[in-house]
Amino acid sequence: MYGRKASELVKEFASVEHGQVFTFNNDLFAQVLEECDGHLLHLQPLMRKIQEHEDKLKDKSRSQEEIGISEDETSKSQDEKTLIQNALKSDQFGALVHHLSLVRNKRCLMAYVYKRAEVIRSLGWMVDSVLPETIQEKLSTSEKEYFKNHAATLQSYMAELDLHLTVDMIPPKDPYIKVRVLDDIGEIALSDQVANLARHAIMFLRRTDAEQYITQGQMEELTG
Amino acid sequence: MDSGAGESSAADDYESLMSTTDAELLKTAWRNEKAAPEILNFAADLVQRSRQQIQLMEEMVDDYINDGVDPLTVSLYQIDLDRTMFLLRSYLRTRLQKIEKYVFHIQKTAEEWNRLSKQEQKFASRFAGDIKNHLDQSVLSRLPDQYQSHLRQSAASEEDDMVPEPQLDSYVVCRSKKYLGTYQLDDGGEELINIEVDDMYALPYKAIKPLVESGQVDLV
Repeated sequence: MYGRKASELVKEFASVEHGQVFTFNNDLFAQVLEECDGHLLHLQPLMRKIQEHEDKLKDKSRSQEEIGISEDETSKSQDEKTLIQNALKSDQFGALVHHLSLVRNKRCLMAYVYKRAEVIRSLGWMVDSVLPETIQEKLSTSEKEYFKNHAATLQSYMAELDLHLTVDMIPPKDPYIKVRVLDDIGEIALSDQVANLARHAIMFLRRTDAEQYITQGQMEELTG
Repeated sequence: MDSGAGESSAADDYESLMSTTDAELLKTAWRNEKAAPEILNFAADLVQRSRQQIQLMEEMVDDYINDGVDPLTVSLYQIDLDRTMFLLRSYLRTRLQKIEKYVFHIQKTAEEWNRLSKQEQKFASRFAGDIKNHLDQSVLSRLPDQYQSHLRQSAASEEDDMVPEPQLDSYVVCRSKKYLGTYQLDDGGEELINIEVDDMYALPYKAIKPLVESGQVDLV
């Protein structure tokens, strides 16, 4: 059935939990693209036939107008005309089916790529310009490039504004939060102090300072 | 802002600034932007004022720390500062996300394009280029000729029929700041409602759009 593969592609996206990245389905994607080419192969001869039929019809009616013909011949040519018209119609509908299938496939492919791009962008808010490898593996080449370009675009906007937008993702309650350091980060100059962020250390930090480490998984917030 | 103000008057400046309602205005702008389906006018003056205030508050908090003012007082100011920062950042972020979502639509409607700040326009252009390249590479260049547009489904489409647009008839919750009397909801004049002060209504965004733009009604 036409369009089934494309719908599988979209369903695959829909079935994944919101905001999660999954491996780009190259196989299915390529198959749908192939199907599109197939539709075009069917479509082109049909379009040619439609053109021929239309030309023939035009010729007929022109010749009818030009030369006066007997009634007998008129009815005969009328029959022929109906015949051509029928053929024309069936070809038109055939073409329409292929055209619509193609459009549908295109929409599915676009939706797949576009929605994935949205997820990739949302990742951009969480990590700074470099994606972890486990995620990199799941992206297509074009998607990796897109992520880089988008990160650069966002960076240049923030640079122009001279304001970091990737921090402060949740409304603040307290300027200081208690965090546990999960990774050996080392001596870091924070906005209010120079701190030695060694693994397992528990400390009070400015929320804005801690936030970037938390999103990168190098710290966790201790609540309660 | 008078940049010549000395350090000692920083506190006075701060008090006078707090009595103006820019923080409230920013909150309103932020809430409206979050709730409205389409992109709203960029609050250029408000953002600029807020940034100046934030800078002032930062300087003041630093002064307090250096002067050894009671840590509790300082931390209260710090919280206030953090909240304003959050509002500002979230406001700008929300706008960027909306631009990302409807970039092709915004690009071709001059009215909406003009609602963006200069920097946002630059961002939008670059963003549109990025996503178009990505779509071209992944899908469009591999489709038959007549189907390669990113705005139209095929060459046979008479208008751009593949551009995501904000749904203006979606419902929003809003609260009026003053009594507006009877208000006509649709063009036909069939539905009239009484808008009272501080009452909450769930209405289609399209119907109250002019009220939101003129600031008579706030979205919640």
